Amino acid sequence: MNNNSIIPPRLPRWLLLRLLRDDLAEEVEGDLEEKFLHELKHRSAFRARLNYWYQVIQYLRPFAIRKNKATLLYYDMYQNYFRISWRSLLRQKMYSAIKIGGLAIGVAACFLISLYVKDELSYDKHLVRDNGPYRLVVQAEIDANKTERSVDFPAPAAAALKADFPEVDQAGRYLSSPLFDAYENEIRRSDRNENQHEGGFVYFDQELLELLNLRVIAGNPKYALTNPKSIVITRRKAEKYFPGEDAVGKTFIINNDDKKLYTVGAVIEDFPANSHLQFDFLMTLRGVEFWPGEQTWWMASNYQIYLTLKPGTDIEKAAENIKRGFIEKYYNPALLASGAVGFEKILNSAKFELQPMDEVYLDGSVHDSLPHGDIRFIWLFAAIAGFIVIIACINFINLSTARSANRAKEVGLRKTVGSLRSHLIRQFLTESFLFSLLAIVSGVILSWLLLPYFNVLASKSLTFPWSAWWLVPGMIVSALVIGLLAGLYPAFYLSSFNPVNVLKGNVSKGSKSSATRSMLVVFQFTTSIILIISTVVIYRQMSYILNKKLGFEKEHVLLVQGAHTLGSNVASFKSELLGLSQVERVSVSDYLPIRGSKRDGNTFHNEGMEKIERGVTTQKWVVDPDYIKTLGMKMVEGRDFNPDMISDSSSIIINQTMANQLNLADPVGKVIQNWRKYTIIGVVEDFHFESMKENIGPVCFVAGTSPSVILVKTKGDNMRETIEAISGVWARFSPNQAIRFNFLDERYAATYADVERTGRIFTTFAVLAIIVACLGLFALSAFMVEQRSKEISIRMVLGASMNTVFRLLTQNFVILVLISFAMAAPVAWILMNKWLQDFVYKTNLSWDIFLISGACALVIALVTVSYQAVRAARANPVTNLRSE
Amino acid sequence: MIETRLGEFEEVILLLTGILGEEAYSFKIAEEFETQTKRSVSIGAVHSTLNRLEEKGFLTSKVGNATAERGGRRKRIYTITAYGKRALESARDLRMSLYNQFPAFAGKMDFGFSV
Repeated sequence: MNNNSIIPPRLPRWLLLRLLRDDLAEEVEGDLEEKFLHELKHRSAFRARLNYWYQVIQYLRPFAIRKNKATLLYYDMYQNYFRISWRSLLRQKMYSAIKIGGLAIGVAACFLISLYVKDELSYDKHLVRDNGPYRLVVQAEIDANKTERSVDFPAPAAAALKADFPEVDQAGRYLSSPLFDAYENEIRRSDRNENQHEGGFVYFDQELLELLNLRVIAGNPKYALTNPKSIVITRRKAEKYFPGEDAVGKTFIINNDDKKLYTVGAVIEDFPANSHLQFDFLMTLRGVEFWPGEQTWWMASNYQIYLTLKPGTDIEKAAENIKRGFIEKYYNPALLASGAVGFEKILNSAKFELQPMDEVYLDGSVHDSLPHGDIRFIWLFAAIAGFIVIIACINFINLSTARSANRAKEVGLRKTVGSLRSHLIRQFLTESFLFSLLAIVSGVILSWLLLPYFNVLASKSLTFPWSAWWLVPGMIVSALVIGLLAGLYPAFYLSSFNPVNVLKGNVSKGSKSSATRSMLVVFQFTTSIILIISTVVIYRQMSYILNKKLGFEKEHVLLVQGAHTLGSNVASFKSELLGLSQVERVSVSDYLPIRGSKRDGNTFHNEGMEKIERGVTTQKWVVDPDYIKTLGMKMVEGRDFNPDMISDSSSIIINQTMANQLNLADPVGKVIQNWRKYTIIGVVEDFHFESMKENIGPVCFVAGTSPSVILVKTKGDNMRETIEAISGVWARFSPNQAIRFNFLDERYAATYADVERTGRIFTTFAVLAIIVACLGLFALSAFMVEQRSKEISIRMVLGASMNTVFRLLTQNFVILVLISFAMAAPVAWILMNKWLQDFVYKTNLSWDIFLISGACALVIALVTVSYQAVRAARANPVTNLRSE
Repeated sequence: MIETRLGEFEEVILLLTGILGEEAYSFKIAEEFETQTKRSVSIGAVHSTLNRLEEKGFLTSKVGNATAERGGRRKRIYTITAYGKRALESARDLRMSLYNQFPAFAGKMDFGFSV
């Protein structure tokens, strides 16, 4: 036993002496040493030392610990700081309310936006595992300079993935196109009569169900979709159609079609709101063939494919492999067999990607029919929220420094009795922490109150994260950050006063820092004006979209939906409608000039050219002979369909774009073909049928029946009566199915809901930013008026008019707003020009937008300031001058 | 008003102080506690309890003499007060009265199976 081990270890002993009350030191140290020696006798030196540590730590008890005098003093000082802060808060009720209220609004905006951003970024995270699933995406150069990314693949592609590529673990498809009766349908339990309209229909592979790891809550997950005509439904639909029953094994009939008798194979959990997959009825693809040979046909792409990889696979390499394999083994032979030409370049330019699930939602560049978030907007909103907080912080800084005169005496006195500058900085920072803490607590409460409205505004279903672990720490941290941000400058400024000057009364009254204050006001107004301009531009674009001549008349057209369930009665239903006095015209067609309606992509060639040129990829719409007249489209050449001409079954009407793309100078009478021949009988004027973000594409009409939508052009004078009359006819034809209708113009407007939503969000932000900025301006002008009250009174006594005084007090602010405008206009122009570039058809960024926005900001600023200015100008000079 | 009831740990510490007499200081009491109850305890915990009992008036203390094995440091000897004794007595009385009311132990000494 060496000498070192018989004395207790040094570090804990030193610690003990540091922490222990002095009067206890001797006895405790003695006790612990005795204990140590005792331990040493019975155990190893190491165990004894360990035990000594343990004993020392066990002495950290309230009774034994040294009370630090300095800490006590600090504690008292902080208590004093808080008390003074609280008193000054209460004394200046208006200024405090503006400081805290402005900051609270900023915090609330910021908090809501953070929730929004968090939700947008959380899409499909729950689906992500180590080796997928991935969505198969192909990128190809369709035309020169036109690259498209698509997710549509042929039916046999999924099976080929599994058969040919060892790195692929699982692969599955879904198909959601309304062309094949997915998307939306009429549905009923097979033991009931009433049809219900439902959306969320999709054809699904059993393997996709497995690879997505969807949670099956009833039924066998292994055999959910393995039988032909089986269907998987979500929990909410099971509860709707089979309340209190076991849905598995029950049957549905879709679209009144006895052949479409589906048996429920399983019930799955609802898809969460933050998933790009939103389905309710998953119909099996087992035993499905949409036309003979469809399941082995590589020339039609209608399926979306998801896959998982074997562990350790390189994603990029796998994608490259798949591309090469697909082209060599399938696409090239298929093209050769069909004799189509012109696709080599497209295939050569093709690039396959395996897209992780959590990137699907935010990738709007892919041509799919899914709703997408826009990452640019997410960051833009986040930036705006940040700006609003900064504006609120600026108010805080402005008001604190502006009102420095009130605190100057306090600073002087504190310094005189021995306070250091660092103490004063600490005091003012404490004060700003107190303010920011109050602001954040009220901001969070405010955002909780506003969340329902925000959800409507942003079309979200966010919930308040009361139980989130980060809520309270987050609030405290942001209180510290905002407190520091807003309090640092005032703290340094206020603590810099020279006590002698201040106590003598030569207070600078804050005028020295007026340049800084002006700069901050300019910053606030620049931000606000940018937001105003953006809002105006977005609304201009929206009204441009809604009022643009579309090439068809969207007003007063009622769309009766789900009419295919009438079966062979559609024609007589149509003629009954025509008998109503309120109805002008009726047409039957599912193909509507509205984004998201039924579509059918085809390739057309000039006669005999199918092996020579690539042809035109175009929409082929099946319409009835009254379609063009009902929608008020204009024929530019040739004639419309004639219901009496039997030969019109092989006639076709094309739009101008299609005539151009087919290189037909004189199209009428020419023959074109896809898999059969049509004679062009007329050319219809181009009309918008997709988004304003794209050029009008080629489209052609062929005569036929596509009976699920009936377009009714009404006179439009007495809508209620018209609807009643139409409903009456419907009820006679289809007593078991409620009439379901909507209006063409409303459907059209709804397809631009995202633009509308962006506009609403911008409006909200602009209003918020302006409110916060105006609160600041209001307080600042109040302060200025208060400071110059003697000057104003003297001026008035000497004969100044109210006008002069008003001008005197407002011209400064007007100049600041004008400077802000000069700075905001170019920034807003660049931003909005960039936004408008998304659209092919767009409104101009004309000068009046800027003029209106600038005038708006100026008026708001003037109104804010003039309340104080007018009050000052109307005040009786005597009251202000009496005291001296 | 200081809480005057005794907790279980306090009661044992108070008894040990009485038992050890002139040798009743933190280390010894902790040592005795461990040997008698087979429970381990830190000196700090014992010291804190002694301190609390002293505040309640059940104990008094004085600085005793130094011994070599403590590096020449003095120790604080605790002595039980009359008030402390009374607290122990009333704790015992309460307990005995409760035991006497409990049928399994009360009066009769036959722990037989007479049910």
